[in-house]
Amino acid sequence: MPVIDVHRIKLHIQELNPDGEETIILIHGMFSNLAVYYFNIAPMLAENFRVILYDMRGHGMSEKVNEGYDLASMTDDLYALMEELKVDKTHLVGYSYGGLVALKMAIRYPEKIDKLVVIEGPDPNEQETLTIIDTYSKEFLIHYVNNFADTTKMQMGKRQLERNHRMYEFLFNETTIRSDMESEKDFFQQKPLSQLTHETLLIYGEHSNCVPSGNTLASKIADANLVLVPGDHNVPIQQPETIGSQLLLFFNKNVDLDICDANLLVVKQSA
Amino acid sequence: MDQLITEPKTLSNDEIFGVLNQFITEVIGEEFVDEMDITPDSSFTKDLEMDSIEIVAFSEKVKIYFGENINFTGWLSNMDLDEIISLKLSDIINYIRLCQ
Repeated sequence: MPVIDVHRIKLHIQELNPDGEETIILIHGMFSNLAVYYFNIAPMLAENFRVILYDMRGHGMSEKVNEGYDLASMTDDLYALMEELKVDKTHLVGYSYGGLVALKMAIRYPEKIDKLVVIEGPDPNEQETLTIIDTYSKEFLIHYVNNFADTTKMQMGKRQLERNHRMYEFLFNETTIRSDMESEKDFFQQKPLSQLTHETLLIYGEHSNCVPSGNTLASKIADANLVLVPGDHNVPIQQPETIGSQLLLFFNKNVDLDICDANLLVVKQSA
Repeated sequence: MDQLITEPKTLSNDEIFGVLNQFITEVIGEEFVDEMDITPDSSFTKDLEMDSIEIVAFSEKVKIYFGENINFTGWLSNMDLDEIISLKLSDIINYIRLCQ
């Protein structure tokens, strides 16, 4: 498994089409991992671009660490990853909390980032996640899996339940993730966000409770375009082809898109 | 290292199954494999209870062992979620046999 050392932390990375001219880096969300992109979205993009995916610290197959889940540390990791992989400039796509990492990266290192995509980035002021962290229990996880499994087609037997429970217990009880996330609660209100000049695409699920966050970002970022697609917060898992098509359309104007119906975009590669 | 390093020849179904079986053991851990009966009919998500990041780790091992001419990730990327969920070991064995 490919790992690279950044700040003495081992991050698991996957790279597709390393010879691609332009690079896209994909950032997953909190409590998730790079697999959210790996099977559909990343291969679609890799036909035209060099695509880099990585597991954030403490997530997936990256090293488990006790601290550094705030946006500054997360973007330190990303900067070091770009240095290590010799990426001078990249397009950036972030999902959920990863969307906030993408925004923070563009704020801190504007010259390193080309176009920017935020998928379902939540306003950290909502702090809904913190409530979940505070009330988390194994019973909660079982309840969640039983009631929301069909939106993500998540199947969890005994071993997976235990594995997920261990991950949550580690992140919630042995790391600073809660206080780190809480410290970001004013992120949408901070001035640098409204000074971003990057061409930005905001993709939200039309039934997601994060849509107001998308509206907020659209109003603050000068060159931002908000697109609603069918689905809820789990839209990259529910509609990977739609998300992949939206990304290709945004990054590569030479791709023809056939819009078959409102729900489905089919990509046709121009010769 | 936990990777097999033998140079692959043209392998029979049984031999491929043996290699994949070892990869699964490495990915999900021996203590869990002991409780399972892994057969070519085992499905990845239902029977082996592998989640997506474990399938990524498994794909990585397949790619390293069988070489670049077996585009395992590309093959998977043409499937939708339902197909990946119902994927069996025998499907992968057949795919590798075709590519050899």
